[in-house]
Amino acid sequence: MNLNRSFFVPVNSPLHNLNPLTKLALVFSMILPAFLSLPQLAPFLAIPILIAVFIGRVQKQYFNLLLKLVLPTILFMFVMQSLFLPGGETVILNLGIFDVTRESMQSAFYTVSRIFVMISSFAILLLTTHPSELMSDLTRRGLPGQFAYVIISTLQILPQMQAKAQTIIAAQRSRGLDTESSFRKRIGSLVPLVGPLVFGSLVEVEERAIAIEARGFTSKRVKTSLHEIPDPAFDKILRGILVILVIASFTLNLWLS
Amino acid sequence: MAFVTLHNVTYQYPLTQSPALQEINLKINEGEFLAVVGPNGAGKSTLCYALAGFVPHFFKGELTGEITVDGKKSSEATLDEWVMNVGLAFQNPFNQISGAKFTVFEELAFGLENIGIPREEMKVRVEEAMALTGIRELADRSPYSLSGGQQQRVALTSILVMKPKLLVLDEPTSQMDPIGTREVFSVVRKMAEEGMTVVMVEHKVEWIANFADRVMALKDGRMVLEGKPNEVLTSDMLAENGFGISRYTSTAREAKKRGLWKKENLPVTLDEAVEGFAK
Ligand SMILES: Nc1ncnc2c1ncn2[C@@H]1O[C@H](COP(=O)(O)OP(=O)(O)OP(=O)(O)O)[C@@H](O)[C@H]1O
Ligand SMILES: [Mg+2]
Repeated sequence: MNLNRSFFVPVNSPLHNLNPLTKLALVFSMILPAFLSLPQLAPFLAIPILIAVFIGRVQKQYFNLLLKLVLPTILFMFVMQSLFLPGGETVILNLGIFDVTRESMQSAFYTVSRIFVMISSFAILLLTTHPSELMSDLTRRGLPGQFAYVIISTLQILPQMQAKAQTIIAAQRSRGLDTESSFRKRIGSLVPLVGPLVFGSLVEVEERAIAIEARGFTSKRVKTSLHEIPDPAFDKILRGILVILVIASFTLNLWLS
Repeated sequence: MAFVTLHNVTYQYPLTQSPALQEINLKINEGEFLAVVGPNGAGKSTLCYALAGFVPHFFKGELTGEITVDGKKSSEATLDEWVMNVGLAFQNPFNQISGAKFTVFEELAFGLENIGIPREEMKVRVEEAMALTGIRELADRSPYSLSGGQQQRVALTSILVMKPKLLVLDEPTSQMDPIGTREVFSVVRKMAEEGMTVVMVEHKVEWIANFADRVMALKDGRMVLEGKPNEVLTSDMLAENGFGISRYTSTAREAKKRGLWKKENLPVTLDEAVEGFAK
């Protein structure tokens, strides 16, 4: 099991040293044009993404993620979209009732490019940003503490729940619960797992609430943060430029269409 | 005046048939180390929640009587003010990990961030607290990667770092080996010497006899005995009511019946037993 329970890769790179908000701005300056501008733009955004991966020195982890998570998802989407998107004249392939047309394939390609840009940008953000820093920085800038807590504890607690489900399954199996035969039987036999998992979680949630409350979580004082998160002029200027670029790309887009 | 007072405290959880605490009257002085013993379901944890303000501010249900700490009534305070003075570490260390932090160091700083301690002071306080409980070498580990005993130490440290005036500990050594247990008792004793008031629920009676100032025994929500550790822990009443008893006490009690134990008082610890039998 991954003991760090986060995607963060602790190396030193220009991307790691950017302020979290700047990186978030970079993410949105990829996603917004990809989704809201001409569809032809999205595939080209793969270029800056690849450059960012190398600047951030997270190639290994990024391509690993790409292979295991991103590619299967977008391949699946590509196939579904090619098959089911209606319209188009130029039939390339005929599979019984389905016609795969040039047009549907093209639009499927644009859609998955957009998805690729979105997932990749967020992946690079998470690979190069320590989650605590991201959250501290955003809370400092006014994101409600409760909101940040929910996000970050979900990131941490999901693997815990998974581990617990495994334990419960092992325990139930040792008492003769069938988890290995036919699908229908298995679904039926999952029912006894729901109780311990959900009820256990409720008690845990209650205790956790007490624990963080006991440490002043809802205190009305102004919170401070352990990590100092630098936000130099360079970052501020970069964010300014990004905002201008995004606006410019929309204006250009409107003007062209 | 006593630092902590419980006056006729009775509390019943919602949807239950009988009260979990019944007519508790208790005074604790500043800097006193009070141990609480009792069988399962006696109401020990509930007493901890009541002292720490979670009864009635978190658990609903009916509370009568009055709890005062440092001159303030818990019923009149809000929970976030109350926890500034009263620190609570409870039984299950796993659920005390905030889940918001990735290293033990950050985990310990969590409470200090919440109450707005400046960064430099925060670091100093975390370092001091880690040195006190001997967890310096865990600083960079993920809190989830620790053993149960280590997590308990982190849970205790995460409360100590807040410097509460009243420290409430619910079975803080339940997952610890004898070395860990000794360290926790020593730390708690030291905090008490420095003026922190401590209430600690604990089953390990020999350790209580060595370190606590006073013991209270709870059963079915009632305080059945209270007094000096040696007197309470050796009383026949505890032995007859399913409380945990030191093996030295039960041995000496048998011995006394056969005239082999000559002293008036029964022993709790090994040292007392050796000394008594040597006579
Ligand atoms: N959240 C709750 N809701 C309802 N009843 C509860 C709740 N927590 C505890 N009780 C009940 O209150 C009584 C006292 O429980 P408490 O947990 O205080 O006992 P305890 O002395 O700490 O026991 P243990 O040694 O098992 O920790 C028990 O009868 C228990 O069932
Ligand atoms: Mg308890």
